[in-house]
Amino acid sequence: MKPAPTLSTAFLESAGQSLPKPLLDLRKQRGTALVDMPLPTRKTENWKYSSKYLKLTEDMASPLPSQGQGMTGQDVPGYRIVFLNGVIQPEASEFPQAAGIQVTSFRDLDDEEAEALAGQLDSTLDDKAVQLARLNAARFEDGLLIRLKPDAVLDQPLFVIHEVTADASGSAFPRIFVDAGRHSQATLVEEYRSSGSEPVMVNTVAEFNLADGANITNVRLTMEGDNVQHIGATGVRQQRNARFESHTVGFGGPLRRHDLQVRLEGEGGECKLNGVVVTQGKQHFDNHTTIEHVAAHCNSEETYRNIAADQSHAVFNGRIHIHQDAQNSNADMNNKNLLLSNGAEIDTKPELEIYADDVKCAHGATIGQLDEVSLFYLVSRGIARREANVLLTMAFINELVEQIPLETVRETAHTRLNQFFDQTFQEV
Amino acid sequence: MATTDKEVNELIKREYEHGFVTEIEADTFEPGLNEDIIARLSAIKNEPEWMLEWRLKAYRRWLEMEEPDWAHVGYPKIDYNSISYYSAPKRKEDMPQSLDEVDPELLKTYEKLGIPLHEREKLAGVAVDAVFDSVSVATTFKEPLAKAGVIFCSISEAIRDYPELVQKYLGTVVPHGDNFFAGLNSAVFSDGTFVYVPKGVRCPMELSTYFRINAANTGQFERTLIIADEGSYVSYLEGCTAPMRDENQLHAAVVELVALDDAQIKYSTVQNWYPGDEEGKGGIYNFVTKRGACIGKNSKISWTQVETGSAVTWKYPSCVLRGENSVGEFYSVALTHNYQQADTGTKMIHLGKNTRSTIISKGISAGKSSNAYRGLVKFGPGAEGARNFTQCDSLLIGDRCGAHTFPYIESKNKSAIVEHEATTSKVSDEQMFLCRQRGIDPEQAVSMIVNGFCKEVFKELPMEFAVEAGKLLEVSLEGSVG
Repeated sequence: MKPAPTLSTAFLESAGQSLPKPLLDLRKQRGTALVDMPLPTRKTENWKYSSKYLKLTEDMASPLPSQGQGMTGQDVPGYRIVFLNGVIQPEASEFPQAAGIQVTSFRDLDDEEAEALAGQLDSTLDDKAVQLARLNAARFEDGLLIRLKPDAVLDQPLFVIHEVTADASGSAFPRIFVDAGRHSQATLVEEYRSSGSEPVMVNTVAEFNLADGANITNVRLTMEGDNVQHIGATGVRQQRNARFESHTVGFGGPLRRHDLQVRLEGEGGECKLNGVVVTQGKQHFDNHTTIEHVAAHCNSEETYRNIAADQSHAVFNGRIHIHQDAQNSNADMNNKNLLLSNGAEIDTKPELEIYADDVKCAHGATIGQLDEVSLFYLVSRGIARREANVLLTMAFINELVEQIPLETVRETAHTRLNQFFDQTFQEV
Repeated sequence: MATTDKEVNELIKREYEHGFVTEIEADTFEPGLNEDIIARLSAIKNEPEWMLEWRLKAYRRWLEMEEPDWAHVGYPKIDYNSISYYSAPKRKEDMPQSLDEVDPELLKTYEKLGIPLHEREKLAGVAVDAVFDSVSVATTFKEPLAKAGVIFCSISEAIRDYPELVQKYLGTVVPHGDNFFAGLNSAVFSDGTFVYVPKGVRCPMELSTYFRINAANTGQFERTLIIADEGSYVSYLEGCTAPMRDENQLHAAVVELVALDDAQIKYSTVQNWYPGDEEGKGGIYNFVTKRGACIGKNSKISWTQVETGSAVTWKYPSCVLRGENSVGEFYSVALTHNYQQADTGTKMIHLGKNTRSTIISKGISAGKSSNAYRGLVKFGPGAEGARNFTQCDSLLIGDRCGAHTFPYIESKNKSAIVEHEATTSKVSDEQMFLCRQRGIDPEQAVSMIVNGFCKEVFKELPMEFAVEAGKLLEVSLEGSVG
């Protein structure tokens, strides 16, 4: 047996020293823990379908410049935080100023605050499952801390723009930590963009810690270019009666990986996870979700739709884990996939792991092509074949896109989807 | 699975408490595995040179392989060098001389299952007169089979008498490098069954290992090869509902099925090996590789299994659907109780055009057991118009057991359609109330509900097997309620 390749030590060298000391210490400690970390291979169960897309070259280990052109966030109205290559750009950002709400760059924290944060980072994620996203804790140069005091309500959605400028090879490690107090409410939109064409990696982590009754909505748009390998992890912990809603819209790339892990730790918790993935050309996208029903009386609902065209490859792995004492859990997972071309591939694995008997759990998965009968119906009524294809494909995912609670995000998604349709369905 | 018609589990519970006990007799190999042992094994069986080479090749490959750890089961690490890889059949003097010497608990179980008296003796390992056996067997089925041209014998005989057939097909469906346990089996397989059904022949009866005279002592590494030539049909039954005594803790069997054009193979299994005691000590480890290849056009392979025994089960009867319009089916009931662990399911690999497959899996977990369905449905680029339907349902009885589903679905063809559904439920209070209100005692009520849950699978079993399987569930579920 050949030993599995390990992560090059070059990736563990962090350059910037602009963080408060407790965070620098944490980063160093995490880096040490990752020495000799084996890289995922085809035999690594949760990278089975995706390891072949991972291409981490030495020159991608260097950090990308934290200042420069780009800063394209200005088109976003309202509250916005702009990360450029993993570092917050205060002059391009519009920080919310409201009572009971703290929105700060990690760099601006005093030692006491940083100490507290260091104890919380990575607490929502399962180390073993996220693998490569652990690298973020060893390399982050900055981060966004959001603390919501009990009953605080963020009056407008907060947009976080993650921009990378790929004028040279390198990596960016943006990070978000949200600590939502009791009955607080907020909506956070993450948007990933890129410019330039050199091969780069974005390694990003977002964490949400929800106290009793907190209500958080997270929208995640992955729209980087075909030179960007995206490795992301989102961790969520929910206490009693907390509610978390996630909407992800992802467009493919050379490697796209998102791990979403939700732990329902208090009774009455609820989560709703929606996801849409569209891939074309030789693109790839891999969504891994885990919902842990730790406490009793929680509900989870998950709906993911993938569309793969050309020679692209879409992967979905959804896991629902009902712990022993999580009686009266309700879990529903649904994954539907549309294969638009014979060169494309879709792999799906909806898993259930159940240790309690009084539960209602169901999952369903399908893979298929557009329904010939429906196409015929539309064409026979004078709709052009191309148009009919677009209509049916759109119908397949629009149900989820329409559920995104923000008009501007829906528009952004639609624009990109239309581009996809233009490239995929030719006039006949 | 090996049908070592010997004494029964309960009898040997005490032995199992101390782990792996193998009595070393004069005609048993010392524990250990190396090329010498394999050469000796091959020599004892009078095998031709090519067979020995095949075994050695498998062994060398196996040495480089790693034991799989992805299954949702846990067991102490097996030391493959502490196993004896050959033991001669037990002498008659060592067996119980009559049913009076057999554990009464066991006899009660036979009673419940309604097993005929003379069969009970055989199952309990009573020293039955072999003459009686062979005469009855020869007259009842040897003749008609020979007339039809069906070859039905042990694999050792087949290696000697039909080397061309064996050489042509052995290892084509499950190559020795396929997986760790299949590799081990290829190196040291003890015995097993060989079936060949010639062109256009419909096998005149259901074939069953249970009635094959030399079925005893197939040992722990059983190898089965069934070939259905063009246009033929065969139905094969394996195992039996009665609990069987078995001295080997590790079982690594390989079953290969080959269906040529228009051929059909129906393979049914009822497995009820020693599951370990109530504390989860002892019990058989059942690591089996079963795979069928639908090579020919319009061929069909159908697996039906009822699994209630073994401490650990690792088993995925699969179909490789290569021929156009070929069909694969998998119907399974897996029941686990106490500390049993099962990781079982199927693989349907669609390569040919218009291939179809159906998967119906019913998992029942009770006590502190863990029951996982793991399945793969794969459509290759050439699987134009292929279709799969999968349904896996789990039933939980008690709040300390686990039911898991790990379906892998991979598609590379846009015209292929796959549908997967899974549900998990428990025996509901309403159902129980309804039964009890009508005067049915709780144990019977659970058994009725469970039987209803499994109906879709039972109807695929040959009739007499289906009746037995129903009773088997009833017996296996004893003590799971109230």
